Amino acid sequence: MRQRSYGRDRELTFRMSFTILMLVFVYIAFMGLLFWAGVPWFFILILAVGMSVFQYYMSDRLVLMTTGAKEVTPEQEPRLHATIERLAAMADLPKPKKIAIMDTHVPNAFATGRNPQNAVIAVTRGLMSRLNAKEVEAVLAHELTHVKNRDVMVLTWASVIVIMAGFLMQMLFWMSLFGGFGGGGRGRDSGGGNAMLVMLAVYVGTIVIYFASQLLIMALSRYREFAADRGAAVITGAPMQLASALQKISNDMYRIPEKDLRQVEHANAFFIVNALKGGEVANLMSSHPPVEKRIERLMRMQRDMERGGF
Amino acid sequence: MGILSALFGRSKLKRPSREQFFVIATTAVSLSARTDLNVTNFAGVVFNPVESSFFAELQNEMDALLDAGQAAAGTKFEVKDDGFGTRWVILDDPDFEDLVTTIHIVGETITEHGFGDRLIAAVLRFDFEGKAAYWIYNIKRGKFYPLVLSGRSQRDNAAEMRLGALMEQEKVPVEPNLENWYALWGIPF
Repeated sequence: MRQRSYGRDRELTFRMSFTILMLVFVYIAFMGLLFWAGVPWFFILILAVGMSVFQYYMSDRLVLMTTGAKEVTPEQEPRLHATIERLAAMADLPKPKKIAIMDTHVPNAFATGRNPQNAVIAVTRGLMSRLNAKEVEAVLAHELTHVKNRDVMVLTWASVIVIMAGFLMQMLFWMSLFGGFGGGGRGRDSGGGNAMLVMLAVYVGTIVIYFASQLLIMALSRYREFAADRGAAVITGAPMQLASALQKISNDMYRIPEKDLRQVEHANAFFIVNALKGGEVANLMSSHPPVEKRIERLMRMQRDMERGGF
Repeated sequence: MGILSALFGRSKLKRPSREQFFVIATTAVSLSARTDLNVTNFAGVVFNPVESSFFAELQNEMDALLDAGQAAAGTKFEVKDDGFGTRWVILDDPDFEDLVTTIHIVGETITEHGFGDRLIAAVLRFDFEGKAAYWIYNIKRGKFYPLVLSGRSQRDNAAEMRLGALMEQEKVPVEPNLENWYALWGIPF
């Protein structure tokens, strides 16, 4: 008996491990820098973790609030609920706690919530009206895979360092304005010039780490999008439906005026397609991979499927 | 799925767990003494088809098998796609054992072709206090749970809780997590 199921994507697993490893190195380097400079790192760590815990536990409510998504009951949206329940059964996930709809014609969807039990899945009216049933199903399966892969947890915790570095950058900026590096333990035995150098090193180091970790997190986020695409194809058994949905959504994206896009800015990280227009650095600094690359991968999956390779 | 699979975003569907399903065959006998809960002629298997030529091949073979079953045991069948991307094999036979056997054959055929992870549930229709009630066997979890509908998109949760308790009495393995009691809207029988 042959199990015809998707093998894992080794390349993706490798890239993800590499990114996570790099992120760990950046963390260690950052901690080392703070420790060396005698900065009260513990205080900053507690603060950043505190903020993350808050974000983590409030993610479902916060995102619903900022996007203006309204929860809908099975009576209001029987089809949507039924489709999600069937996909959840397929993926062996509990039914998401909340299913919501955003009243905008931008076709998009997102998932959030700290764990599968508290997951929220939201879609826009535009998604439901512009995509056909199979495509909507594929998008929902993509979002459910985000839930299954615990992407909120992974990205929240990966972002602690960005919060820390950002916070420290601000702190240093204000301190340099008011001319004091406080009573840092290091300044006393060595001269004042030395303290200035230490401060400069911390400043530069923090900026480097801020951007390095930001880049790594963006890369991680893009890999997780690929993983969610793959998961959606596994759940629905139809990679091309997702490809066609992505095509439609991304085409529409360019026709939508900026004003509408700005409204959806906050929940961007977990949207199926990046709702913000990027500039030239879009690829490196984007939380979503380009749609063409995603479609290319889905087509590869379809080919594997036809060969019976998965 | 383990925490590592989640961390690296690997997707794999759970394989079917079929052992617990046969509990149902013995349950039916003890149910015949009851007046409030009765078996009916209807049952079905629901799965998520794959868009590939391998799956089309499987569908042909399954149709042939079901045709043979119809000729031999008189189990009528129908294959129907619903609006949620899933496919039903609907079975109709007054002999409960034949129903259970045919469900098993459908599941086996799909699994033998390597598509076992596409199976969602086996559904048996019952008559519960004069209402249509379903026992749903979640093939991935290997557990049963009840589904009683009132109206087109509402569930009769009270009746479901009672039916669930009753199923437990009959030694049926009932799904302990209520959030895994997925509805199946639009069951076509």
